[in-house]
Amino acid sequence: MIRITNKKVGNSMITFLTYILCLVWVFPVYYMVITSFKVEESVIPPSLVIHEFTLNNYAIIFDKSIFSHITNSVLITVISVLLCLAIGLPAAYRIVFGKMKNPANLYFWFISTQLLPPCAVLVPAFLIMRWMNLLDTRTGLILLYVGIHTPLIIWMVTSFFKDIPIEILEAADIDGCSKWNAFFKIIFPLSKMGIISSALLTFVFIWNEFFFAVNLTAIKANTLPVYMASFMTQEGLFWAKLSAISTVTILIPVVFGIISQKALVEGLTMGAVKG
Amino acid sequence: MKQKVDSLLTLPAVIIVAVVTQILFLATIFLSFVKWIVIRPDLGKSFAGIKNYVWIFTAPETYRIIGNTISITALSLILCLILGFCFSLLLNRRFPLRKLCNICILIPFFMMDAVIGIIWKTLLLHPSFGIAGYISQMSNSVPIDFFGQHAFISIIIMIVWQWTPFFVLIILAGLQGIDHEIVESAMIDGAGSIRILFQIKIPALRYHIQVVTMLGLIFILKVFGLIYVTTRGGPGFATTNLPYQVFKISNYKWDIGQAASYATIMVAMTLIIIMFMFNFIQKQIKRLEI
Repeated sequence: MIRITNKKVGNSMITFLTYILCLVWVFPVYYMVITSFKVEESVIPPSLVIHEFTLNNYAIIFDKSIFSHITNSVLITVISVLLCLAIGLPAAYRIVFGKMKNPANLYFWFISTQLLPPCAVLVPAFLIMRWMNLLDTRTGLILLYVGIHTPLIIWMVTSFFKDIPIEILEAADIDGCSKWNAFFKIIFPLSKMGIISSALLTFVFIWNEFFFAVNLTAIKANTLPVYMASFMTQEGLFWAKLSAISTVTILIPVVFGIISQKALVEGLTMGAVKG
Repeated sequence: MKQKVDSLLTLPAVIIVAVVTQILFLATIFLSFVKWIVIRPDLGKSFAGIKNYVWIFTAPETYRIIGNTISITALSLILCLILGFCFSLLLNRRFPLRKLCNICILIPFFMMDAVIGIIWKTLLLHPSFGIAGYISQMSNSVPIDFFGQHAFISIIIMIVWQWTPFFVLIILAGLQGIDHEIVESAMIDGAGSIRILFQIKIPALRYHIQVVTMLGLIFILKVFGLIYVTTRGGPGFATTNLPYQVFKISNYKWDIGQAASYATIMVAMTLIIIMFMFNFIQKQIKRLEI
């Protein structure tokens, strides 16, 4: 009896410890969100609760130039993700279902490109874009992002395609179903969740991308991360507004990320693990 | 004919990926042998041989920068691995609000570098107005100058905060894949929880630990945004890593050749790590049977 109660006490102690650690971990996010609802004058000294609730910070940041940056971020990210899907899905399809001699080689070639650090291509990318007048344009960034993130789509979607039993496709083939129909009527519905999750994750990565955005854009095609980085130096100590913008910019990727976390695990461990 | 249609499926992907990653990188290697300073058109462009590399390897800061790149990555990786493992063990139990705890841990991973840098530098660690400064005022101690004196540690704190969730994601998935019966029968045989951890759980997670370490390594090697937003590589060269140096040379010195040389060195370093990774992937190919 005593042992069991001891164990119970131990268990709830561990649970309590888990809660504390999780609160510590998420504290910076919590503090940022509550600061965004504080009046600017009451940000300092720091307090863990809101004394005077206000939405004013959000009102102020939204009638400023932030809209052009949101537009840039949304357009660049959405178009890049759609292009990645348009290019990556057929490739993943061929790797899994096509009659290639050595699909694994192509698959690992795509994965290996992910190991290349972005700074390795920066200088020629800059020169070529300058030459083609693509510096500080959305098109320029989109082209780069598609080239860099298509392998990510292929990497992840391949592991979802592999879950589809090949017998279904063979049966469809015998029944005279065309490849095109097979893709849209069989493969896509069966791996819909995997494809959507991969797309959401790619969205998160492109939305948060900083290196190319800060190097290759200036004023016109600035995405949100670049704007955030400059905001800190431009606006000085308006920390409530800073927190409000931060909260707005992380909202979408955090929601998308949490939705698609399982696919991240399954896709990146090459399907060996079901998340 | 059929083969042709088939290869059309992969062609666009192969072309754009090859152009953006491989051809541009070949161009980088080529440019690393060129002397070309964009803001000095009067000097012209000329072939420089290995002069850029000679310059880089005689500059004392280069060794500091390479050392920083390695030590930032290694330290962050070890901390992420330990913390990730602890969190995974804690979260791999049945308790109320488990999902919510999971989400709390995950959030930082999906936040952009710029925001992470900003909230740590201003709201949390600012020596006079941040939480850290407030605590030291309350306790009457000298406020710690995180992003000045202790910039290196601060960068590591942020990287660990951002990347531990990724480790938790994969290690936790691995823990959940372990057969309950094995653990239970070991418990019935009288194995303590520490023995179960080292003799059953860790061996079963070998694959996950390898994957997460390799991916973490590759991602943390190229850390840039956090450094750009908070320390700008400083003070001095204290937090400059190779990606930041490439940025600095190409944006402030406009020296195409030198920037390209640094980038090539960065890739060479990454490649050495990939060699290790490649062996590992080869083993997986046999297991996978695509």
